[in-house]
Amino acid sequence: MHPKYTGIQYIIPAFALLTLVLFSPVFYGVWFSLFHIQYGAATTFAGVQNYQDLLADPTLPGTLQRSIIFTGAAVSITIVLSLALAVWIHKLGERRGFLVQMVVIVPWIISTVVATLLFRWVFVNDIGLAGSIVKMMGLDEIHLLNSPHSAMALLIAVSVWKRIGYAVIILLAGLKGIPDDYEEAARIDGATPWQIFRRITFPLLKTPLLLVAIVLTLSNLNTVETPLVLTGGGPGDATRILPMDVFDRAFITYDLGSATALALAMFFGNVLLVLAYVRLAKWKT
Amino acid sequence: MSANSVATARLSAGHERVLPSRRRALPLVGGIIIAALFSLLMILNLLPLVWGMLTSLKAEPDLFRFPPVIFDFAPTLDNYKRVIESGFLGNMQASLIYCVITVVSALALALPAAYAFDRFNFPFRQPLFLLIVASIPLSLGAAALLIPNYLYFTKLGLTNAWFTLPLIYTAHQLPMAIWIIKGTLEGIPKELDEAAIADGASHFGILRHIILPLSRPALGAAGVLVFVGSWNEFVASSVMVDSPALRPIQPAIYNFIGFFGREWGPLTASAMLAIIPILITFALLGRLIVSGLTKGSVKG
Repeated sequence: MHPKYTGIQYIIPAFALLTLVLFSPVFYGVWFSLFHIQYGAATTFAGVQNYQDLLADPTLPGTLQRSIIFTGAAVSITIVLSLALAVWIHKLGERRGFLVQMVVIVPWIISTVVATLLFRWVFVNDIGLAGSIVKMMGLDEIHLLNSPHSAMALLIAVSVWKRIGYAVIILLAGLKGIPDDYEEAARIDGATPWQIFRRITFPLLKTPLLLVAIVLTLSNLNTVETPLVLTGGGPGDATRILPMDVFDRAFITYDLGSATALALAMFFGNVLLVLAYVRLAKWKT
Repeated sequence: MSANSVATARLSAGHERVLPSRRRALPLVGGIIIAALFSLLMILNLLPLVWGMLTSLKAEPDLFRFPPVIFDFAPTLDNYKRVIESGFLGNMQASLIYCVITVVSALALALPAAYAFDRFNFPFRQPLFLLIVASIPLSLGAAALLIPNYLYFTKLGLTNAWFTLPLIYTAHQLPMAIWIIKGTLEGIPKELDEAAIADGASHFGILRHIILPLSRPALGAAGVLVFVGSWNEFVASSVMVDSPALRPIQPAIYNFIGFFGREWGPLTASAMLAIIPILITFALLGRLIVSGLTKGSVKG
């Protein structure tokens, strides 16, 4: 075999699998979305009819708006808190830092279904621990899941809690990559801790911060489980966000036409984020 | 979310240094703030696990007692019995089999691919590697991917089989595994390959006898993350297989929410059974998880 092709044979199995599972379905989905769908099967050519129906759907703007609010809030809160935590852990030193890191990452290594379920039981349910403590203090019961605003706030909180561990680990790795001499030199020159953070640490963390922001945006924008287990999309539609909408369209109301159209729209939105990610990742070959 | 973000770490990590930490005596206020922060973290992150565990051991009357009892109750395994009678062991078995197949096949596909990307030059190498890097965060968008995926697999008749989920899990985890392993291969000197070639070794021989043993830590880190990601996967699992015999634990637990309703005893029991393997993995290999996430720190 020509030496030029030796390398290719080692990547063929991996690419065959990725083509089957990740790449071809996208093309098939685009093709499928151009047909009228009946009982899960494509019937006659429909052009962009499915997309037009989707855009005409009066519930879509609301869902879109809620998704943006949820993702924006969850990502920005996670970034701010994880940055503070990472800086704190970095200062703790090797052993204690590792211990804290392990505690921080616990909700992240547990599945979203289980983590959300346990969070709901302990902190939200009226006979759960937090609910009982509130009652013992003689306060009125709080039903966070009954009001649209507090349900959304809770959804954001659970999402931050679940994903912050990942952000902390990545930012911590970024902090460890900054040579200590920089900070040392600044300190000798009389810089205050805030100045050091503002002028040295923060600018040098720009790339990991942006990458974390993109990954968090992707994972929040696409989470099905968090609202499904925490609120079921309620009260009313208050916490119904895009991925849940896609799944309900596909598997509850069996409207596969609009589900596919919406899923593909989300997919191309994801691709834009991924392109930003790849640009930042400055891959090396 | 799975560990898709190793990529991020790889660039940001820079040079990992092991320096003695400079610890000065903390002023009292600082110490109190740190203790408070740490306690808050412990409460938020560990309390749900501890309280869930206690709940799963309580009989119905103890669950509804007010004020809630912490330790003063007669522990019972009834909740676990009910969960197991509902077939949960079968779900756990399915999950375990899927995970083992996924870890083995992801590593078996990733190592040669990483080897090729690191050691060979071939047409379209750069764009293909770019595609791999892009696929890492892309598989986070499972919700968007899964509908086309479901339609396509239905068309091909690949849904609802024992291999359906391992196939999908492997594809979702593979790009990340390739990236982690490639990061480590970059650190293995090419002189070793050249020496082996001079001794008459084949490329496959190099992969087998030099690269494989030296990349064990990366295989471990990637393997742990693949395991955790597959064990915790929910969306594909709930869409792609129908039959109860093929259903892994995450959708099974979700079904329990509808089935047991407000019966938190069996619900928390199933949650505990689902996280025990993860917690064991975490206790034994927690360092590998963190290092997997920050892999490639040798080379920025």
